[in-house]
Amino acid sequence: MENSTQESHLRSDNSISYESPYPLYAMALSSMPSRMNLNHQRIALGSFIEDYPNRVDIISFDPETLSIKTHPTLSFDHPYPPTKLMFRPNGKSPSSSSSDLLASSGDYLRLWEVRETSIEPFSVFNNSKTSEFCAPLTSFDWNDVEPKRIGTSSIDTTCTIWDIEKGVVETQLIAHDKEVYDIAWGEAKVFASVSADGSVRIFDLRDKEHSTIIYESPQPDTPLLRLAWNKQDLRYMATILMDSNKVVILDIRSPTMPVAELERHRASVNAIAWAPLSCKHICSAGDDTQALIWELPTVAGPNGIDPLSMYSAGSEINQLQWSAAQPDWIAIAFSNKMQLLKV
Amino acid sequence: MATGVQNQESVPKNLKKQLALAVRDIQWGYAIFWSISARRPGVLEWADGYYNGDIKTRKTVQAVELNADQLGLQRSEQLRELYESLSAGDSSPQARRPSAALSPEDLTDTEWYYLVCMSFVFNIGQGLPGRTLSSGQSIWLFNAHHAESKVFSRSLLAKVGACALILAKPILVNTLRNDSLVYVFMAGNFGNRLSQSASIQTVVCFPFSGGVIELGVTDLVLEDLCLIQRIKTSFLDAPQTIGSNKSILVAARTGNDKDLACPALDPQILDTKLSPLLDCEQLEMASPNDSSDGFEPNHPAEDSFMIEGINGGASQVQSWQFMDEEFSNCVHHSLNSSDCISQTFVDHGNVVPLCQGEKDNDNGLQDVEECNKTKLTSLDLRSDDLHYQTVLSALLKSSHQLILGPHFRNSNQESSFVSWKKNVLVKSQKARDETPQKLLKKILFEVPQMHDKGLLESPEDNGVRDAAWRPEADEICGNHVLSERRRREKINERFMILKSLVPSNSKVDKVSILDVTIEYLQDLERRVEELESCRELIELEARMKRKSQDHVERTSDNYGNNKITNGKKSSLSKRKACDIDEAEQEIDYVISKDGSTDNVTVSTNNKDFLIEFRCPFREGILLEIMDALSILNLDCHSVQSSTTEGILSLTIKSKYKGSTVAKVGTIKQALQRVAWKC
Repeated sequence: MENSTQESHLRSDNSISYESPYPLYAMALSSMPSRMNLNHQRIALGSFIEDYPNRVDIISFDPETLSIKTHPTLSFDHPYPPTKLMFRPNGKSPSSSSSDLLASSGDYLRLWEVRETSIEPFSVFNNSKTSEFCAPLTSFDWNDVEPKRIGTSSIDTTCTIWDIEKGVVETQLIAHDKEVYDIAWGEAKVFASVSADGSVRIFDLRDKEHSTIIYESPQPDTPLLRLAWNKQDLRYMATILMDSNKVVILDIRSPTMPVAELERHRASVNAIAWAPLSCKHICSAGDDTQALIWELPTVAGPNGIDPLSMYSAGSEINQLQWSAAQPDWIAIAFSNKMQLLKV
Repeated sequence: MATGVQNQESVPKNLKKQLALAVRDIQWGYAIFWSISARRPGVLEWADGYYNGDIKTRKTVQAVELNADQLGLQRSEQLRELYESLSAGDSSPQARRPSAALSPEDLTDTEWYYLVCMSFVFNIGQGLPGRTLSSGQSIWLFNAHHAESKVFSRSLLAKVGACALILAKPILVNTLRNDSLVYVFMAGNFGNRLSQSASIQTVVCFPFSGGVIELGVTDLVLEDLCLIQRIKTSFLDAPQTIGSNKSILVAARTGNDKDLACPALDPQILDTKLSPLLDCEQLEMASPNDSSDGFEPNHPAEDSFMIEGINGGASQVQSWQFMDEEFSNCVHHSLNSSDCISQTFVDHGNVVPLCQGEKDNDNGLQDVEECNKTKLTSLDLRSDDLHYQTVLSALLKSSHQLILGPHFRNSNQESSFVSWKKNVLVKSQKARDETPQKLLKKILFEVPQMHDKGLLESPEDNGVRDAAWRPEADEICGNHVLSERRRREKINERFMILKSLVPSNSKVDKVSILDVTIEYLQDLERRVEELESCRELIELEARMKRKSQDHVERTSDNYGNNKITNGKKSSLSKRKACDIDEAEQEIDYVISKDGSTDNVTVSTNNKDFLIEFRCPFREGILLEIMDALSILNLDCHSVQSSTTEGILSLTIKSKYKGSTVAKVGTIKQALQRVAWKC
């Protein structure tokens, strides 16, 4: 952690940086403003240490003064690196509960209550019948239309849907033939998942028997690593393949054929995020240290689609978050640093 | 005369003019005719409209000097064009900037409201126009901007004006970026525009000619049925031809000049047709210059309008015609016919008709509905509430600050991003050597495994994690393996020893070792038997000779020791020599036997053995004999031994402990072996 309660900010090239003592991977921006100062944006950062003890820290960002403040008390241990962090979304109506909730995935899905000066464990969701082994989770998504619903994806090829208010499993589906790597909600009861078997499948909770494959990777069994559903235009999804520099844009109305393949990264892509307020903008970041913002046109030119704008970071960008709480800012994480880029 | 933009087969062709007249007469802000969509029955859509409200700027690019009504018409056309262009988005440059086009910044809020109304669609029975049509009754909405959205779905829009919800279609705005136009306002940032807000406060709808006419005004107007009737009659009875307009105007002039709402009617006609109207008329006549009923006193304008109309009647009409034609030329629907990524916004299946259309000469709205039809088949049609909500959301959300870049005035910071250039050198070369997506892969592939292993190694006591099953299994397996391995090693060791004991064996494999050993054993046994039999013979002979020898010696001694010494000695020596010879012979004969001094006698009685043994004494021989016997599983319980002249005499009584009794021959052999070791 940097200076305990001092403000620390590094402003260069119109970006705000925060340097962490350890490499970062998981990152989340809160939808709820801090109680004490309504302007402050809370950001949760998960460490990536290849060992048992890992940490999640909460820092706060003030877009007015462009500064970052660390909170040493808002921090907790996590067994092994958290694979994903996410704050409770606001849903249809702003949350009436008093404190913010942060979810983390790793061995289990865990909820943490983020209060003003401390973080308390809230619940642990363990689905294993015995007290023993529960398949570790690769990712999860919090349904922003129904915030009581969280879907998790696991290496045991299943997706589990939790009702976190009751603390029970709503349903568990065998989603794929191989490990499931990411899951994303579209509507209140519709989600999609990607897997090592190279397919994107859409599931509807109202009809659990059937799923729709809307895309399969061209080389069979090329794993698809990440998935993002355009919340502004639910027809569109984006996914990235393993070892590929392409961002594949899919239209759920026309399965198997991608609508666009964005191929301007010079190395493989690590993370994607749709713009929270626009329906045709998407940002991607990769090993070429670049974050690119794309605008999807109505008609693609013959040479493919060029990005709108770009940003070069210091090293490979591993994480990207573009939250509706701060639509002007894109958060990226590379090596030990977290940066907020003005869009 | 139709402007070629809308499908209005069922609508009077000079509808726009009539709308214009109607709304100008009553001095209201706008008039919209909603008609049943030809494409989609059961739905009302914007068919035509006339805008008569506040105008911020007037752009007159026409060479012809336009008067008020012409300006009004032109304005309405321009607004329509702007709407088309905004919804067309990436259309050809011509459409983007038609010669008479307005730029978004030129519009007042009320104009924006009017423009956004063009996007609306109502099901029959829903929304103000829908309900009007289905009920067949006119609806007067007072205080519209405070109405609930259920009643008047555009209330919010009416209230704050579309300026706060600007259709900043990104592409359009991109092109305008360099003009430093500030378009975008976030929802909470209405600022000073509220004072100029649309504030449409009164809206009236009445059914007409298969559709609905909607009139709106920014002022609060109390409900007045006469007004409605007046307007209706102006439409109903207005002649449908151009020429009749003249007569309308003329009639209006000659008629009651207060008769603003229905200039086309003679009072007589009024009387005969509509008595309420008549009443109103009378009322009106009673208070000619009254602004009761909310009519704004604008006589001079109206008069001048009419006078102008009359004066330039013919030319007016002609110029209108001219204008219309020109407008129809100006209005381009150069929408791309290629496929598009529609900008429609789907929110729970609702359709926002801000689509970039596919076909030309069609109402963009209809296209939207078409292209979204396939999507909507399984989805419910939404009420107006959500419609407008989605419109608002779309508008709000599409107005993204991203697009504005450095020109957005609220930002005190420039963007971190730079425009993308194709050939920018990226310092990614070094990353090539490493694994691509290294961290991502670790998170997905390795971290879950860590948890698996962590079950065994976790320092925390995570409950009753019984992970021991795994290592136990391994251990057990290991135990078996180890013991097996040890046994094999022992066996191999013994085989080597056996090999070393057995002579002349070149092969090292176990089978041949065993074969050779068997042969050797059999051979040895044979030899031993032979030897034993020989030995017995020799012993017999030896005993007999010894006796005779002794006997001879005694006799010779008797003859007198002195005299016969030589003779005896010689005879003794002769005999001894014979003996010796014989002994030597014996020795030669039986190589292994050590003279006549060895003597093994074994007698057995079941498991009891009596062994009498004589052999030359040497150091430790007793121990060796004991060992030999114990190897043969003989438990000695009584031993008598004596040593005379270097000869050890043993008498052993032993018992056999074991299952198989050793052969006598074996015992003898063993003892003899011991004895022979010197």
